[in-house]
Amino acid sequence: MSSFKRDKKEEEDGGGNPFQNIEKTTVLQEARIFNENIINAKKCTHILTKILYLLNQGEQLGAKEATEVFFAMTKLFQSKDVILRRMVYLGIKELSSIADDVIIVTSSLTKDMTGKEDLYRAAAIRALCSITDVTMLQTIERYMKQAIVDKNPAVSSAALVSSLHMSKIASDVIKRWVNEAQEAVNSDNIMVQYHALGVLYHIRKSDRLAVTKLVAKLTRMSLKSHYAICMLIRIASKLLEEEETSNDSALFSFIESCLRHKSEMVIYEAAHAIVNSRRTTSRELGPAISVLQLFCGSPKPTLRFAAVRTLNQVAINHPAAVTACNLDLENLITDSNRSIATLAITTLLKTGAESSVDRLMKQIATFVSEISDEFKVVVVQAIRALALKFPRKHSVLMNFLSAMLRDEGGLEYKASIADTIITIIEDNADAKETGLAHLCEFIEDCEHTSLAVRILHLLGKEGPRTKQPSRYIRFIYNRVILENPTVRAAAVSAMAQFGALCPDLSENIQVLLARCQMDTDDEVRDRATYYSSILRQQDKSLYNNYILEPLQVSIPSLERCLKDYIQSKSDEAFNIKSVPVVAAPTEEEKQISNQKTEGMLISTGPPRPVVSREENYTEKLSAIPGIQQLGPLFKSSEIVELTESETEYVVCCIKHCFTRHLVLQFDCINTLNDQLLENVRIQLDPSEGYQIVKDIPCQKLPYNEMGTVYIILQFPDDLPNTVGTFGAVMKFVVKDCDPNTGLPDTDEGYDDEYMLEDLEVVLGDQIQRVTKMNWAASWDESANGFVEMEDTYSLSSMNTLEEAVKNIIQFLGLQPAERTDKVPEGKTTHTLLLAGLFRGGHDILVRSKLALADGVTMQLTVRSTDADIAELITSAVG
Amino acid sequence: MGLFKTLAVFLRIKKKEVNVLVIGLNNSGKSTIINHFKDEEDKQSEIVPTVGFNVEKFQNQSLSFTAFDMSGHGRYRDLWEHYYKDCHGIVFVIDSSDKLRLVVVKDELDLLLQHPDICNRKIPILFFANKMDCKESLSSVKIAAGLGLDKIMDKPWNISASNALTGDGLNEGVEWLTQQIRDTIVNRN
Ligand SMILES: Nc1nc2c(ncn2[C@@H]2O[C@H](COP(=O)(O)OP(=O)(O)O)[C@@H](O)[C@H]2O)c(=O)[nH]1
Ligand SMILES: [Mg+2]
Repeated sequence: MSSFKRDKKEEEDGGGNPFQNIEKTTVLQEARIFNENIINAKKCTHILTKILYLLNQGEQLGAKEATEVFFAMTKLFQSKDVILRRMVYLGIKELSSIADDVIIVTSSLTKDMTGKEDLYRAAAIRALCSITDVTMLQTIERYMKQAIVDKNPAVSSAALVSSLHMSKIASDVIKRWVNEAQEAVNSDNIMVQYHALGVLYHIRKSDRLAVTKLVAKLTRMSLKSHYAICMLIRIASKLLEEEETSNDSALFSFIESCLRHKSEMVIYEAAHAIVNSRRTTSRELGPAISVLQLFCGSPKPTLRFAAVRTLNQVAINHPAAVTACNLDLENLITDSNRSIATLAITTLLKTGAESSVDRLMKQIATFVSEISDEFKVVVVQAIRALALKFPRKHSVLMNFLSAMLRDEGGLEYKASIADTIITIIEDNADAKETGLAHLCEFIEDCEHTSLAVRILHLLGKEGPRTKQPSRYIRFIYNRVILENPTVRAAAVSAMAQFGALCPDLSENIQVLLARCQMDTDDEVRDRATYYSSILRQQDKSLYNNYILEPLQVSIPSLERCLKDYIQSKSDEAFNIKSVPVVAAPTEEEKQISNQKTEGMLISTGPPRPVVSREENYTEKLSAIPGIQQLGPLFKSSEIVELTESETEYVVCCIKHCFTRHLVLQFDCINTLNDQLLENVRIQLDPSEGYQIVKDIPCQKLPYNEMGTVYIILQFPDDLPNTVGTFGAVMKFVVKDCDPNTGLPDTDEGYDDEYMLEDLEVVLGDQIQRVTKMNWAASWDESANGFVEMEDTYSLSSMNTLEEAVKNIIQFLGLQPAERTDKVPEGKTTHTLLLAGLFRGGHDILVRSKLALADGVTMQLTVRSTDADIAELITSAVG
Repeated sequence: MGLFKTLAVFLRIKKKEVNVLVIGLNNSGKSTIINHFKDEEDKQSEIVPTVGFNVEKFQNQSLSFTAFDMSGHGRYRDLWEHYYKDCHGIVFVIDSSDKLRLVVVKDELDLLLQHPDICNRKIPILFFANKMDCKESLSSVKIAAGLGLDKIMDKPWNISASNALTGDGLNEGVEWLTQQIRDTIVNRN
């Protein structure tokens, strides 16, 4: 991205751009001439160009300004000048979302789209669709249908693409155009055929059977358009991917046959689909890899690039297959196109043997300074993979990374290097000290505040646990002297960690913190004062709660709760326990987010602030009568499906846990287009002790729209009863209706019901994961004031420690601490440490000692501030 | 035509371009009326309800008309005013068989006459009491009385009964309007 640099000189003398100095108010003033009786087409075109230029530069128009220009512009319809009219269409599209009453041009545009002037027709359709809302769609429906099957390909394409856009606002209406789209698929024009397939697929995509039929039909008729074939390959591979059992060989043979197509684009698409499919076997992989191998030697750089990029992506999943291309990849190492060379080398790094690492790294070093940041990131990712694969190579790789750190580069690139070093440190204890040393050196001269803050945080976390913690203090304190306030504040927090964990450094840290209290910045001073007064108390438990453990609540929730608190003008002190805690991400979630960036060239942008699942639901739930009073939402479960896929009705449930209540949210979809459901209820048969407080039915459930039923229950007082199984039946009134309009045939409906699968309410629904940075300290502290329960179990169905660890974590819904979720290789005993919070704010700490013998035996020690909770957990496991 | 042209040159108004605004409730026959004046090859074979507006052009004597044919649906009536400022004349069409909505017509007319862009101008207004062929239709005299046209003192106005399907009464009306607009332009020159 940053490789696009504008020529500085051109920017300075500004000779190139005639619009450089135009100004909004002046242009809007000039636009008044649109109102004159006699239109000067040339002048008006010029002014319209200026308006479009301004809008595209990001200039904002208010609704009033926009409406005024818009109506002035409508008067230009009286001019017969073709260029001006086409500019008007563009103006309409740009202003359609800002100005009011834009539907005023509907008739004028329909006249142009059906008129004799071909130059108007396609553009008029696009403009028309941009001003049309759901309420107006009926009026233009007839014209759209005609346009889709128009003989003029530009007109037909415009109508098809516009249909796709409009399906976002009115998918039901677009569905009625399926016959026209069907006809357009038969067009001889390559674009029309492609766009028609797009519309057809969109109309049917929620109906698996219909998609299957569509694909079956189109694969037989051999499409003319290469674009359409590429799309068909994508649809087919998606179908294959979703299939439960891999028995549809017709789909696969279609994709495979495309490997022999005459168009390179189609061949590539097919190969790409095959190698990326998770169900492809190594035998099926062969022909696809051969095609990519052939492309590696193509004289066309685009083909070489596409091939090597795809090989790079699949190198992790199919290393053996990619190794077959090693020779070709070796040839590409010196490709004059550096992007191709980088991808070739990083692919080789992923698949190569330990012995070739040094040679390849040297090769990259020769040109790493010439490639753009995006590709440097690819190199960094390859190094990360290597380091995990060959832990012994960490010093070569670390050195390389630290050299890269010292080079020029943007934030994203630098962040990816720092990330990689951090991953290596976490994974490999031997690499820790060198890694930290490199990072220390890096922050001495780091221009990215956010990165410096992250590294300081890491130093605070890891530094105190190294052999010689004192050596890091100098680096951290230097930041206090030299940096901006944000970095200084982070440095203060990092120093405090050393003070709390290293008794012999405590005195020195106090001296440094005292100096920081003289800082010019409020935040830095506040932090220094805060930490130094806690450290003065010399109390381990205070250290633990207020220095070492981070805040457990989610920041967006905290913000919302504080806002509510200020508005409520309550006399009571704010209670931090009323803020929902943030769930720690599970191992799977972390892996998913790692996979996303693996081997991708697309920037994922800066990390977004984490908004918890609960925070997302809170807004929706607070609008439901009766739920606001239940207090803050404590935990929302994952989505549980209560129906099989591809049934008439699809129902999913989300369990929302409050302090004393359980709210069940049933999301229902009706997949029958000839039925309208009304008064949809869920009849629940809860387990003993649960009380239903309120039922909130869904009034109307039209075809393919999601409707929601809520049930509010009160938890049983007896804790053991809170875990149980609920029977559920969906009840509703059916009205038969016309599939095209969705309107019921008669006013009278009939009652019907639908059995749902049982809903399990489990222990984990009532527990929120909590990350403990310093689990051992919390455990020591909990010796007083917590209740302890202990029991021994034999988990005979488990054969490995890994399996046992995974199951325990999932079953209890607790967060593993101190990386005890990873079982070191070859061990026969392991201790898993867990932490969490039960609804109502009760802490839970669990230690699970595992031993592998015949199956796995477990000694489980549970501590909680509440005796019943501790008992519930020990009994639930048994 | 020849004579008119000379006359036009004499009056120094050559092929003058003028804008007229065609308004009135929906279904009163505005689009049908405009269609009548268009050249044979431009004529629409089928008139569909107007959504928003359409611009149409036609000639009458020495004047070249650009007509803004507005939609008369409730939703669009508030939008007429965007086009008041720059027109030379107004054609106001009334469905004379629609007695029920005559009060609505009067409301809309009053709003027009009070509008700041209209009230101080001596702009000619041509009323068509359209659909005179319908059995139940009111005469133009009755409509003029119903709308209180006699109270319009400061603007030239005229009402003709018309049948847009056959064209009866249309030419007479537009001839009057042409004359009025020419007069104003001559006076101005
Ligand atoms: N009987 C009769 N019908 C007419 C006359 N003028 C228009 N119509 C019909 O009235 C309907 C509405 O006409 P239209 O021009 O669309 O009205 P607008 O909404 O004012 O533009 C159409 O069906 C026309 O055929 C007329 O003078 N007599
Ligand atoms: Mg009309």
